Amino acid sequence: MSKQPCDMPSAGRTMHPCDGRVVSTLTRRGVVLAALASASLPLLRHLPAYAAIDDVTEVAPGVFVHQGLYEVQSAANGGDIANASFVVGSEAVAVIDTSGSAKLGVQLRDAIRAVTDKPIRYVINTHMHPDHVFGNAAFKQDNPEFVGHYKLARALGTRKEGYLAANEQMVGSDAFAGSEVILPTVSIKEPTKLDLGDRELLLEPQPTAHTDNDLIVTDLKTETLFLGDLLFSVHVPTIDGSIAGWLSVLDDLEQRNVARVVPGHGPKTMELPEALAPQKRYLSAIADDVRRQIAEGKTLEEATKSAGFSEKDAWELFDQYHVRNVTAAYAELEWE
Amino acid sequence: MTHALKKLSRTVCGVVLAASIGVLADTSAFAEEDLWPTLRAEAFGDRPIAEENGYVVLETPKKVEDAAIVPLTVRIPPHVKDKLKSLSIFIDNNPDPKVATLNFGPAAGVGGERSFATRVRVDNFSHARAVLELEDGSLHMATKFLSAAGGCAAMQAKDPDADMAGIGKTVVRTFSPALSSNPIWSGQVMIKHPNHNGMQLDINTATFIPERYVREVTVERDGELVFKLDSTFSISTNPNFRFTFAKGDNNELDVSVVDTDGVAFDGTTKRESGS
Ligand SMILES: [Zn+2]
Repeated sequence: MSKQPCDMPSAGRTMHPCDGRVVSTLTRRGVVLAALASASLPLLRHLPAYAAIDDVTEVAPGVFVHQGLYEVQSAANGGDIANASFVVGSEAVAVIDTSGSAKLGVQLRDAIRAVTDKPIRYVINTHMHPDHVFGNAAFKQDNPEFVGHYKLARALGTRKEGYLAANEQMVGSDAFAGSEVILPTVSIKEPTKLDLGDRELLLEPQPTAHTDNDLIVTDLKTETLFLGDLLFSVHVPTIDGSIAGWLSVLDDLEQRNVARVVPGHGPKTMELPEALAPQKRYLSAIADDVRRQIAEGKTLEEATKSAGFSEKDAWELFDQYHVRNVTAAYAELEWE
Repeated sequence: MTHALKKLSRTVCGVVLAASIGVLADTSAFAEEDLWPTLRAEAFGDRPIAEENGYVVLETPKKVEDAAIVPLTVRIPPHVKDKLKSLSIFIDNNPDPKVATLNFGPAAGVGGERSFATRVRVDNFSHARAVLELEDGSLHMATKFLSAAGGCAAMQAKDPDADMAGIGKTVVRTFSPALSSNPIWSGQVMIKHPNHNGMQLDINTATFIPERYVREVTVERDGELVFKLDSTFSISTNPNFRFTFAKGDNNELDVSVVDTDGVAFDGTTKRESGS
């Protein structure tokens, strides 16, 4: 079986599974291994100088979640601001988001190893954002499939330099050491199941919402739905895709019957449909205000000073992200 | 002129950003180099430019929230009675510092506050400048500092597929003034266009997605020129312009747009009815 390096741009080579072709059912033998193991591994020192990611909770049998802080990346938090999870089957482990640095990824891996020795076969990224992907490097030694939405590779490829520089700046070069952008080796274009042994994960790519590469994951055995950043709680939502698309995805998610959901930012678990209500209210407040202001001929600058401000006291980090959200919403909704 | 500079900046795009945060100290001189003397000489030679004299006001956000969509407004206060000849907007440290140049026509208007607003991409910490040329040839400049650290990431589209859909759709609007005696009206042009900056790497081909952006926008009111605008990819995705013009008989705007592929688009207020 030929090996195809998926972490490098490869001109004119479009071999499965690097090219985003549909993979409807994946098994370990059915996919081409990425030649990631041959890439040089950075030496990752295990020196947790800040809050450690070994704080993981088993929220359902075999389902573990680490909760990130309600903060912006900083030297103090080392980038530990997003939830990171893993699911253990009878044969293998899947990681769902890897936190914001290689060092945090190492801690997450240690937390997995404290629970099980089973091979880490899949590293799934729910979307492109740095606080969910920069821990990927810690798992290269496991030679897993890196799994993402079929638009994740493009999104990460074009943002690679900016993400690396910005996050190193925020958390500091020591805390960020070893972090790198690892592109997906398996791209998900239609609903796909991953077999972990006696349990299956259902992966469903979503239309543009929080970003244009949101992927949700359901552990069918425990009916645990990992929503990534399609669900924020406490931490104000951030729009980096489409506000109209996100509201419509929420309408779909509301109809689902699962035992629990895991947000990208928020408590370890929540329940549908209540979990979605505050975020839906926030996004609707922005959309309603911005649409009205556009109809009144108000400018983008005017909108950023008033739209959605009724939500100010309902969220952490409102001052950091709200104006940016309104800007994105205005630039999108003026084309309706 | 800016072509060579632009190409150079592109190849060192990531390096400039890294230098600005002290990772590569030996290239920091490039990032901090004051480009304005060169830009100024290219655009205006050794003509004198009056600075911050109240003839032109530049408004930018106190804090840049999204470096890909930075609203920028130029106002020419009502006490300035002269006809306008041109307006040039620069962002010194952008890969192409020349954001836009407007050459005004007879329908640009006099007798009230005139303004021009758009949204720009900001690649790094930089000065933004508006240089106004009056009919008598005098030059007046306003400058603001933009604290934006979006870097190259700021240039990336949120949804590239949506951006390419419906390319060229051009929406034109007019806004009548509150006072009917006001000789100045305002208008808006929105152009659906990705304004590709040529810096996005297509990971499937390992090549840069070719640059393609709106380079010329001509606005006429009742057949008379308001302005002809030359623009670059420093203008945000889906270029958006708000401007003032002289009240006319019908106040109908016709807009023609050309991008760097030579493809032409147009829009008008004439076909829009019912408002
Ligand atoms: Zn996110």
